[in-house]
Amino acid sequence: MYLNPRLTIGAIAALSLVTLAGCGNDPQSSSGGSGGSGSSSYAAVIKGLDNPFFQQMQQGIDAQSKTDSVSVEVQAAQSVTDTSGQADKLDAMAQQGYDCYVVNPISGTNLIQGLARIAAQKTPVVNIDSPIEADAAAKADLKVTTYIGTDNSEAGKMAGDTMVDALGGSGKVALIGGISGDVTSAARIDGFTAAVKGKLTTLPVVAADWDRQVALTKATDILSANKDVAGFFAANDDMALGIARAVANAGKTGDIAIISVDGIEDALKAVKSGDLYATVAQYPYAIGQMGVQACEMASAGNQLPANITAPVAVVTKADADQALAKFPAPFQPFDNPLG
Amino acid sequence: MTTAQPATAGQRSAEDYKRRLAELPWPELASTLGLVGLAIIFGIANPGYLSEGNVSAILQAAAILIILTIGQTFVVATGGIDLSVASTMTLGAVVLGQFYAQGWNIWLAAVAGLVATLLVGAVNGLIISKGGITDFIVTLGTLSAASGMALIISDGRKTTIIEPVLIKLSVNGIGLFSWAVIIALGLAILAHVVLFHTAFGVHVLAIGGSAESSRSLGIKVWLVKTGVYVISAGLTGVAALLLVARVGAAEPAANTAFLLNSVAAVVLGGVSLFGGRATVIAPVMGALLLTALVNGLTRVGLSEFYQPLTVGVVVVLAAFLTRFNK
Amino acid sequence: MSTDPATTATTTTQDTAPAATGGDVLTVTALRKSFGRVHALRDATLTLPRGQVTALIGDNGAGKSTLVRCLVGVHTADAGEVLLEGEGVRFANPEQGRSAGIETVFQELALVEDLSVAQNLFLGREAKRSFGPFRFLDRRRMRREALDMISQLAINVPAVTARVRRLSGGQRQAVALARAAGWSSKVVILDEPTAALGVQETERVEKLVLSLKERGMTILLISHNFEQVLRLSDQVVVMRAGRTVARRQTSQTDGQELVGLVTGAVRDPHEAAHDLMPDSDKEAS
Repeated sequence: MYLNPRLTIGAIAALSLVTLAGCGNDPQSSSGGSGGSGSSSYAAVIKGLDNPFFQQMQQGIDAQSKTDSVSVEVQAAQSVTDTSGQADKLDAMAQQGYDCYVVNPISGTNLIQGLARIAAQKTPVVNIDSPIEADAAAKADLKVTTYIGTDNSEAGKMAGDTMVDALGGSGKVALIGGISGDVTSAARIDGFTAAVKGKLTTLPVVAADWDRQVALTKATDILSANKDVAGFFAANDDMALGIARAVANAGKTGDIAIISVDGIEDALKAVKSGDLYATVAQYPYAIGQMGVQACEMASAGNQLPANITAPVAVVTKADADQALAKFPAPFQPFDNPLG
Repeated sequence: MTTAQPATAGQRSAEDYKRRLAELPWPELASTLGLVGLAIIFGIANPGYLSEGNVSAILQAAAILIILTIGQTFVVATGGIDLSVASTMTLGAVVLGQFYAQGWNIWLAAVAGLVATLLVGAVNGLIISKGGITDFIVTLGTLSAASGMALIISDGRKTTIIEPVLIKLSVNGIGLFSWAVIIALGLAILAHVVLFHTAFGVHVLAIGGSAESSRSLGIKVWLVKTGVYVISAGLTGVAALLLVARVGAAEPAANTAFLLNSVAAVVLGGVSLFGGRATVIAPVMGALLLTALVNGLTRVGLSEFYQPLTVGVVVVLAAFLTRFNK
Repeated sequence: MSTDPATTATTTTQDTAPAATGGDVLTVTALRKSFGRVHALRDATLTLPRGQVTALIGDNGAGKSTLVRCLVGVHTADAGEVLLEGEGVRFANPEQGRSAGIETVFQELALVEDLSVAQNLFLGREAKRSFGPFRFLDRRRMRREALDMISQLAINVPAVTARVRRLSGGQRQAVALARAAGWSSKVVILDEPTAALGVQETERVEKLVLSLKERGMTILLISHNFEQVLRLSDQVVVMRAGRTVARRQTSQTDGQELVGLVTGAVRDPHEAAHDLMPDSDKEAS
């Protein structure tokens, strides 16, 4: 008569597991995603939408899927540090039998497990923006169909060349990086340093964690310690906007050239107003579009090159209006091997 | 259970039924019933949700949370709380990564990570039980200290760890259950035995119920309290290995979501936050419920902006259920 | 006073064979305890005759609770002597007191609400069985023995697996009493056992106390209720301002005298000499 609470829970738990397992059927036949009405359907797993860069990437994906009338289900991580959560999201979508997966992994390795299983079923995997670590992928038997991304070192180099022009060939430049040890930040800064070598003097890299507030603080410190700083290079736009505030606080707007990489809308506006000297625009929108195009080609059985470079363009005051008008699409035509 | 009164059969069975229904441990049943309800709703909304592959994916995604939840359950059962679980796990992963990078065997490196987490647990436990400082403050301090140490030790860099054996941990297994899931469920069974079939387990619940009474009956309250924090921290050490296996690297990232979810799973599992009343199965079901919820929301295509909100609503509803039961 | 409490506590536990009937089970002489500048216990002297109920009465703050806490090992006395079955004991903690055979039912009962009756009865000394190097609870044995402990005292408790939360005040008191009596203890100390109970439940608990006495248990009863003291006890010890000031055979006193002794309106003839002659009140009886 007396109901043992633990026995009751145990029984229900066992029952529910049996029910769950019993309902199992072939994932491939059960569902083709949300829009499996004959046409292809793709899945995209990108980084956190708390950053405008990835919002534009999603806009690009959505725009391209509309143009080509294919269905793409986009899921993003909770934040740019949510490595295991992003893996969970990929796993949830991996079971729905999409025809192709577009992924922008938070780290070089966090999606490898899930992708290895997808790739094993000969489903194409298109890696965009942040690269999957090659060694790690090889060990897990993961073959990525193609990688689409910007050359960060090239973007840094273009920023460097612009800085040399801006300063008239000589001067002292402060370098503000992202999170210490970050690969993207390192590539951009290395590209920049290489381009200005022998022309400009550079201060040691200061990490500002990709954060506008942190950059404001660090730039204020740098300005008070080095009266003769003529330029700042920031590894992303957000930090550059923080630096611009610090420079304005010091009353030096226009005297100090701030150049960064990314090309977010706020940065384009700041270039137009003169707060920033230039930004090297990468086009997450275009990367998103190209990811969908790559999926279409791969599904159709076409061979794709292992690496595809997405467009980069320097935006200075002269181009700012045009760039803003077209935003988030590129304002200049570019050579698209997929289009 | 008591002798039946001579009443009409219909009346008696109806009353009996009502009484038995009221006697059911609703707080402990909430997570399991919620999971079943969720399975039905998503099963209808999304045909592939209950497929073998997806159930396996849910279990796989839940493994780490289940392990952290078990530890949190022990701590909450004594009336405490461990806010440092996620960052202790991060520290464990980073220590593992450092030794691995030095060329240590992956299992030895994992043991080194485990030792680091156990030390954090001992520090937590001793400061709380001997130092008499509130658990909330102490573990809030270790939350920060452990992630700080993880950053210092790793110099803010991640260590890539791609070991075939670690990949097998989450790819191979028995049927629906990968080895990672089997480890998590095995630990849950072990924890159940410890909580209900050892003197230590009874003392954990006794201290949560009344530390003063326990002390006057000769139970070494400080030792048991230290014990639960060491258990919680040690489990984060095991979870660290699974985390490294899952993301293929040891990173000094904060993993805050794991902390919030471990507390939420414990609440969903009907464990009294004042201590003294706990099961292991129900919080584990709570962890599965949270994971299955996010999986389902992802599959039906709900934007990630709405997912934390939905999870929050579910947790607060569960807390209400526990409250109304009293 | 002995300086190695642990060893004295353990030697007495081995003395489990019941001594010959008669004699004093516990003798306390000139016990003192101060907390900083507060002298909670100035001079406590009393004896507990075997198989009898000794009542300890006194106003709030007279030192009854401090005396009890010193006897069971919650506090350690600053000076004085405690003899248990003729041997000097000094407990560093309640565990030592319990294992030496002094059981206490505190006012707050020391029951854990969400544990079962059986778990509460065995709390702190669970029955275990070995399985390789591991020791697991012997839950079946504990349940069976709990049932024995309960039924010996004819206590009306729903089930030994029921949570204590579901019990009434009297039932809880009964469980606490059964726990104290069930461990072949030498002395059971009851601290205000009926303070929070209604009339009927008080009656039931009083019956329990008497049945414990019938079973030969030596009991120290702390109570504010003089009628209860007169009903249950064989002798009464009165405390005032940290001292034991008088002792009476229950049959030779009445409520009025006890009230007078507690308030100080009536002075025991030997009280003045008490400080100099610790055994003086023995002669008074």
